[in-house]
Amino acid sequence: MHGATEKKILKAELRWAALVAIIVFVIMGAIVFAAVSMHINPPSNREYIDPQTLHLSGEFTEGNLGTRTGPDGQVTTRIITTQFAFLPQCVVVPADTPVTLRFASPDVIHGILVTGTNVNTMVVPGYVSQVHTVFRRTGDLLMPCHEYCGLGHSQMLATVRVVPPDQFRPGPDGRALCG
Amino acid sequence: MAGAPPPADDQLGDPIDPRTLDRPWRIWAGLGIGTALVVGALLAFLVIPSFQRENAGLDMWTAFCRAVGITEGSPAYRQPVSDAKAAPVSQVAWSPEVLTILNQAEPDQGARIAAAVCSSCHGQDGVSATPDLPSLAGQSAASIYKQLHDYRSGARAHPLMTPVAQQLLIPDLANVAVFYGRDAGPSMGLGARGQSARPEIVRLATEGDSARRLPSCNSCHVNGAGGPIETPILTGQHHQYLANQLLAFKNGERRNDVYQRMRNIARVLNDEEIQALAEYYQGVR
Amino acid sequence: MASVAFDPAPAPAPARAERSTLGVGRLTLAHLWVAIAAFAVACVLGVWQMWARSPLEAPAHSAANYFRAVTFHGVSMAYVLTTFFIMGFGYFVAETALKRPLPAGRLAWAAFWLALAGVLMAALSILSGSASVLYTFYPPMTATVWFYIGLVLVVIGSWIWSGIMIAAMMGWKRAHPGEAVPLAMFGTVANAVMWLWTTLGVATELLFQVIPAALGWVDTIDVGLSRTLFSWTLHAIVYFWLFPSYIAFYTLAPRAAGGRLYSDTMGRLTFILFLLYSLPVGLHHLFMDPEHSTGFKFIQMVLTALVSVPTLLTIFTIAASLEIAGRMRGGTGLFGWIRALPWDRPMVLATGLAFVMLFFGGGGGLINMSYGMNAMVHNTSWVTAHFHLIFGGTVVIMYFAIAYAIWPTLTGRVFASARPLRLQLWLWFIGMMVMTLPWHYTGLQGQWRRVAAFDYSDPMIAAWGPWVLLSLAGGVILLVSALLFVWNLFTLHRARAPRGVATFDYAAAVHPPGRIPRALNGFAMWNVFVAILMAAAYGYPIAQFFIDPPPQAVVHRTVAG
Repeated sequence: MHGATEKKILKAELRWAALVAIIVFVIMGAIVFAAVSMHINPPSNREYIDPQTLHLSGEFTEGNLGTRTGPDGQVTTRIITTQFAFLPQCVVVPADTPVTLRFASPDVIHGILVTGTNVNTMVVPGYVSQVHTVFRRTGDLLMPCHEYCGLGHSQMLATVRVVPPDQFRPGPDGRALCG
Repeated sequence: MAGAPPPADDQLGDPIDPRTLDRPWRIWAGLGIGTALVVGALLAFLVIPSFQRENAGLDMWTAFCRAVGITEGSPAYRQPVSDAKAAPVSQVAWSPEVLTILNQAEPDQGARIAAAVCSSCHGQDGVSATPDLPSLAGQSAASIYKQLHDYRSGARAHPLMTPVAQQLLIPDLANVAVFYGRDAGPSMGLGARGQSARPEIVRLATEGDSARRLPSCNSCHVNGAGGPIETPILTGQHHQYLANQLLAFKNGERRNDVYQRMRNIARVLNDEEIQALAEYYQGVR
Repeated sequence: MASVAFDPAPAPAPARAERSTLGVGRLTLAHLWVAIAAFAVACVLGVWQMWARSPLEAPAHSAANYFRAVTFHGVSMAYVLTTFFIMGFGYFVAETALKRPLPAGRLAWAAFWLALAGVLMAALSILSGSASVLYTFYPPMTATVWFYIGLVLVVIGSWIWSGIMIAAMMGWKRAHPGEAVPLAMFGTVANAVMWLWTTLGVATELLFQVIPAALGWVDTIDVGLSRTLFSWTLHAIVYFWLFPSYIAFYTLAPRAAGGRLYSDTMGRLTFILFLLYSLPVGLHHLFMDPEHSTGFKFIQMVLTALVSVPTLLTIFTIAASLEIAGRMRGGTGLFGWIRALPWDRPMVLATGLAFVMLFFGGGGGLINMSYGMNAMVHNTSWVTAHFHLIFGGTVVIMYFAIAYAIWPTLTGRVFASARPLRLQLWLWFIGMMVMTLPWHYTGLQGQWRRVAAFDYSDPMIAAWGPWVLLSLAGGVILLVSALLFVWNLFTLHRARAPRGVATFDYAAAVHPPGRIPRALNGFAMWNVFVAILMAAAYGYPIAQFFIDPPPQAVVHRTVAG
């Protein structure tokens, strides 16, 4: 008799466990689908850059920061995060175009998000953080530093200006400025 | 019933070996964990990268390496390249080698140079008598080293300091810096400053201004609180010198602040705030 | 489900007017009062922090004060409230569930004093302003070394506790060969074993990286490695926190409701699944970090999905257990048993409220786990709202219920009335919902976290203002609840409180375990699986920092600001 109800309880628990397994599978399936069909990945980029000599580097020298269209047409935006400001404080990007954003920090850990978008990454000294996205809505978007980086963290903000593709006019060297 | 010794036989009368109870658990646990790991790894390193690599024009091996993390980049996107040339605004970078130069500096040699070269403008005891020439006594050694180096390399220009710095050897820059920086320490507190009658100026110094994206001056300039290693101490400095530097940052004359940290700040301060902040930090009542 | 046959719950023991004869009484009370004191101070600071972030003017508002407060609040809630509560409750369970005296009682007291010294060291460091690095203390920002040493002392005290818990269970098993360890103790020791695994990450980070940096022995630090070692601890620690609440779900709530535990085996399996899967998932706190590859983030995401399983199983098992009680009390129909439950009992009320918050908080967790959605919420107020709801809500409301359940045994007195207890629990629930639901919303709008002051002149930020004020109102309600909690417990220490029952009993299972495999009665096999999982999930992610070392960052030592 006890054995019978024990089996009943076990069966009920197993039925519920099967339901739980289905829930887990569905969630994982959605994630795999997004990865496969929309190339959604977390922002990983095991690319080293020395934080101590960052301003001496070629790619992250002051004159190369901001948005630049490469010779192959790839739009890349390079931004420095440092205690307690972004450089540049405003970047312009074209809408409906694949954009790669690259960040580096010469000092401590920072982090960025762009409001209303899926652009979100930590900026860890030693690495180039990289996010690939397409901006859909035009306008001025806020880019705050979202990881505590010291007492000035609350004022560390930048602007991402998304313009329609026909208004995105890089100069002869490929650089586009906020104006 | 909890606590009673368990039956020695199962219901069929056979003795129970604890290992037979355990075996199904070992098997199922092993299978479950093993499956999760194997399926996860297959998806993570092979399946997903194989679908994503076309977008990036990669072969399978490169996509796999990116997914594992042994090469840079995402399995799904082309990696940007850069051909930009370096054009740094200052040659000073705080690598361990440079920190070692400062750690091994000789303050006595620095004292000799200071007496011979620096004190005529900067004062016998490092306290300048001229309001637009900075006092150096107790200033951060890293800050003095960087400014001397910048004068030497041309990152910063001054008709008097440029030739002085160019005649010094690099180790002497460190010796002088460490000599003057010997008394440097955490801020002395609010006794020497913080005596402004204007709360909005005090607020700028201690709180910043979120609307203008201005961090508080103290968030870097109170020794050790934040900011780059070369951050100078402001407390007790001649207000005229401080104001001149902020104005120079503001109009672009001075450009050796790495990544425009001070230029961006000075540009959003109005001239009147610059004067008031300078007085606040000298401690003018 | 309705046709399960069993004996009705035993009648409660008659009241006896005697003082508590519990050997661990003073030990447990000491730990719990330290936990509660830290909790109360942190609640006050929490309200001030919400005030400071709101459009209203808060007194003494400066960035230095704000981040000092956040550090104090985080360290108190995440390290002091939790560790001391778990240690104290663990000693209580060891004596009452195993029905034998606690081994190594003097060592337990030594651990208490050591941990308390650590707390004071850390607290003073934070108050001095030289440790405004928040409870996550991510290098290269480095606080004064006394802050870290204080935390290390707390961890060492907790390791001693872990050893005593394991020794207590092993001693009981030697005296009761072949018998099933009482479920409450099994859970407690599962937690202790898991804690030993958990702390390896942060202990390694502190001993080999952060403390040398704070002392000035090294000038640079590998930031990616330190973040990874901390992530090892960061997720598993939240399961360390929730174990007592789940122990209460399985071993206290069914009895309080007047029923039985639906399945003892499920309880054991839940604790085992937490031990296995709470550890190899820490990388999901680093989804947005560059230093780890997509592949290893994906693997740890799969494992994170598995750690949702024990919670989902628990929901079913505890609901079934409560259903037994409800139907015994005459509840009919599909949901009538819910209304029939004795909601006037604090443990039952807390369980119900905890499950409501678990729905929201757990749902939020599933979203955080999916890295595509994580990109929308990482480091926004959503994250802060999530862990306040799931930890501050679901877990801590059960801490309250546990305290109310064991205080009579600890003090030898009883509560004159359960009304102030129920009021306190309702206020906590309401306050937590009012505080965290708007917070989730502003996070989705892009409000980022760890901010001392927002620019409310910006129209986008101004739109968040009313929600921030609503959260502040919730926080004030929580503070009232917290103070009422302290008062309720304090009343049992007063001479005029009525004396009462000195025994303590745990829920019985519908089918108490008879013979039981070693797998469900110990952790030897599971430790092997944990090692395998950690090697697979964290092996290369940590080894990569040694195989191919990245450039190091210069240590930024903060001093008083």
